[in-house]
Amino acid sequence: MALLLITLETYYVAVALVVGALVMGHREVWSLIRRRKMPVIDERVRENVSKSVRNGFIFLAAALAFLMLPFSVFLTETPDTVHLLGGLFLSGGIVYLLSYLFYDRVETGLGERGLKLLRRFLLVTGISLAAFIISVFLHNAIYGIFIHYFGEDFWSRTGLEDEPVFFFIALLSVVSFAVGLIGSLVIFIKGLFTRTP
Amino acid sequence: MKTRIKEYRARYNLTQEKLAEMAGVRRETIIFLEQGKYNPSLRLAHNVARALKTTVEELFVFED
Repeated sequence: MALLLITLETYYVAVALVVGALVMGHREVWSLIRRRKMPVIDERVRENVSKSVRNGFIFLAAALAFLMLPFSVFLTETPDTVHLLGGLFLSGGIVYLLSYLFYDRVETGLGERGLKLLRRFLLVTGISLAAFIISVFLHNAIYGIFIHYFGEDFWSRTGLEDEPVFFFIALLSVVSFAVGLIGSLVIFIKGLFTRTP
Repeated sequence: MKTRIKEYRARYNLTQEKLAEMAGVRRETIIFLEQGKYNPSLRLAHNVARALKTTVEELFVFED
């Protein structure tokens, strides 16, 4: 798989694939070195894998739908398909890897309080991203409508220098996205390295 | 959910690794089971109970 990706010149995906496989399969590699046999794939591992596949698939479907809509409606130039698919594959793989690590270690490593906090931070991250995308869309839509009815110079006629509402939303959503992302990562990493006896 | 796996394991002088091998699971699964952090299937609960020569009811304690 990695070789195929290298021939397609999507080196970053190939590297991510190899690193991801090593991270996920470190127990298998370690078991092969120590005991010369693979560890069993029990029901917990199977459950974790199927949940992670589901999450990766949902992410890929959502990302594809999100990309297809603007490309089919607004953009006339076709994108570099190989790199676009490479990027999608890479991000889907990252979602799979993070999901697997979450179900395998973080969920069991963190206490109830930690999980609640992680859920809150993730919610803040998701809402900020959605608010940013929606505000960009609303900004363009409202300006389009106003230009259509009042002419291209309508904003300069209002006498205001800046666009306070959208500027505030954009700034706020970027700050809250950063806070949510950093918070989530800190708790995730803490759960990942919580030692089990 | 609380489990008495650790207690039974000590009684029969079994390591987590040995019990995992007997029940056909990974050592991590035994760790999570001992801590009550993993809800096993009926088959796995039965396998662990059989490996520890006891019953599922004796091994897994559910609090109302």
